[in-house]
Amino acid sequence: MAEDTLPELAQGTPTPDGPMMARPVRPAVTLRSFWGNRSRPEGTGTGIVIVGAWGALVLGSALYRSDFLSHQTLLAVTFTMAIVGVLSVGQALVAISGAILDLSVPTALILPSWAIVSLLGQGINIFLVILAALAVGGAWGLFNALIIVFGKINPIIVTLGTNFAGAAMLNILFENAQTPISSGLAKWGQGKFLGLPNIFWPMLLVVALAGYFVPRSRVGRHMIAVGGSSQAARARGISLRKTRFAVFVISGMLSGVAALLFTASDLYFIPNDGSNFLLPTLATIIVAGIALSGGAGNLWLVLLSVGFISTVTTALAFYGLSDVWQQPPPGAILMIAVSIDGYRRIRSRR
Amino acid sequence: MSKLTTRWVRGTLAAAAIVPLMALALVPMNVGAVAAAASAKPFKVCMGTGGQGLNWQTGQGQVLQSIAHKEGWSSVVLSNNNSATTTVNNVEVFIQDGCNAVVEFNPASPGDVPAMQAKFAAAKIPVITFDVPEPGAYFVGIDNLKAGIEGGQMLGKIIKSKWACNLDLLIASHAHGAGTVDTQRTGGMITGVLDECPTIPQSKIVNDEGGGQVSVALPAGRNVLAADPTAKRIAVVGINDSTVVGTIEAAEQLGRSADIIGWGQDGSLVTGANVDPHLLGSVFYFLEGYPEAALPLLKEIAAGHAPPVKDDTHNNPEVLLQPCPVTAAQARNVPGYSARLQKLMQSAAGTTEYALFCPNK
Repeated sequence: MAEDTLPELAQGTPTPDGPMMARPVRPAVTLRSFWGNRSRPEGTGTGIVIVGAWGALVLGSALYRSDFLSHQTLLAVTFTMAIVGVLSVGQALVAISGAILDLSVPTALILPSWAIVSLLGQGINIFLVILAALAVGGAWGLFNALIIVFGKINPIIVTLGTNFAGAAMLNILFENAQTPISSGLAKWGQGKFLGLPNIFWPMLLVVALAGYFVPRSRVGRHMIAVGGSSQAARARGISLRKTRFAVFVISGMLSGVAALLFTASDLYFIPNDGSNFLLPTLATIIVAGIALSGGAGNLWLVLLSVGFISTVTTALAFYGLSDVWQQPPPGAILMIAVSIDGYRRIRSRR
Repeated sequence: MSKLTTRWVRGTLAAAAIVPLMALALVPMNVGAVAAAASAKPFKVCMGTGGQGLNWQTGQGQVLQSIAHKEGWSSVVLSNNNSATTTVNNVEVFIQDGCNAVVEFNPASPGDVPAMQAKFAAAKIPVITFDVPEPGAYFVGIDNLKAGIEGGQMLGKIIKSKWACNLDLLIASHAHGAGTVDTQRTGGMITGVLDECPTIPQSKIVNDEGGGQVSVALPAGRNVLAADPTAKRIAVVGINDSTVVGTIEAAEQLGRSADIIGWGQDGSLVTGANVDPHLLGSVFYFLEGYPEAALPLLKEIAAGHAPPVKDDTHNNPEVLLQPCPVTAAQARNVPGYSARLQKLMQSAAGTTEYALFCPNK
């Protein structure tokens, strides 16, 4: 079907891009504000709230336990930030482009991870391993995009389904996998640079690149435009299909990057391990104020968000709470963030 | 001649009448013989495996089928797929398929157990459960408390000789979802360490949630270690090797690997060429070999002499498997999973892996 023959989205007709696009057209001011035609950057308020909450948490924890402000805490937090941060950038791109969420993150992480350790076990050069990780991650994203675009199915349904299929495939492929302890990747994963974990810096680079280029590059602007209003984007000559493909392939490649960090720092894994990263990733983008309705969000805030959430889990260990009581607070943060996102959406429709 | 002919005809007719009558009289006997042949069909043992993607769960099904083959039984093995729905559906399949005994490893649907057991009871099918006790079923499982205590005692001896019991931090990495198994196994390890080093104060013992996975234990371990930045002499125990290794990896990431030692459970990460040097030992259960331990019970059921099910299946199991604590050095001589499975299936029915492979019998 040619894109210009797609049904009108504002009328609520099913579309190749799913029901999340079947909503009223947004005023173009959203796009303009994202591109910087406004003095205050997108998400400034959210950023201030996160920094305030983060600062209060650090201050409160330091007052309660002075040893909270130690290099050990910094290491614990930054190690936790690395993998979730990279996955969250991919998830944020999906959300900004109007595809709401990618629920296949667990498979997207473990599939390239399995490829990495398999190739390392065969003595393949690390640079080829890195390329393979990116390729496998990208291929997974392409697989999702093919079903979404040509099957004309809601991305959430597709990625939920492919994640189940992927989990089954992973269970067939392997039962447990190990990064060789003596490998360069394992040694790099335990190493530090400028006092912070080596695996932290690629995450920082990914956030910086995404934060800078998404509002400025052609592909990035197309993602925002399609997420904001597919109808308006199409009227501007933007290909919905190409944009959808680009988003999922880039997100998949970021999963490949996350897989490199994962296999470098977590040397023993099983097919189900990826599921531990889905909720933190969702919490990170929701707290960062990335609009699940698409078209808005500041990727720099992902850094603040993942830092704040990672600090919460570390700080809880300082309060002497039973390990059982350390689990509800991150869930509560997610619930509060989802509520705020819902409130924000209702307010934006008025 | 005519009289003879008439007699011959009459005799022939009479014989013709008698033969079918005799044949008819024999029919019930033949039917009975067929029925007897049908009732002599082989004993059928069926199993629902866990389906959690763990190799030993698949292995349990393979070992059960191997035993059935050796005993001349037929067997059916289905995966419960770690799903309550699948587990319940499998019960129906086992009943309709005429299984004479069912073995269950059912980690997914504790809430459905009463209904499942009621169906099995109505169909008069005895049930054996592995590791997860179910009322009304024979329970076969490892002695988790003994496994924990023995592993803890071996680590405690090392703590005593290495640090004279002056421990700064004892991390216990739990998997609370495992319920009593976690309490007995991880709690047993703490008890075992304290048996050897009773001077370690409770304030030095920190519990965290490792979820039974490296990927969960790793961040949890980082947080616990960060919260005790001055601890130098650190020991780790946990519900399995994964949680212990995850915590050890956390110490390595925080630059404190020289300070940490650990002892695992289940032996999953203590064999092979990629063993973490700070994992000093583990406790083998040889999970894949459980069906061999259940064989005497299955034989009694097959012979029609099923023993009564014990009331308190949890603390008084029908078959209690012996744990096998090993140092990492000893574990190097224990074959890996595939080799163990192959040798077990080649051995005579009833041979246990404990007898074959445990170096500390």
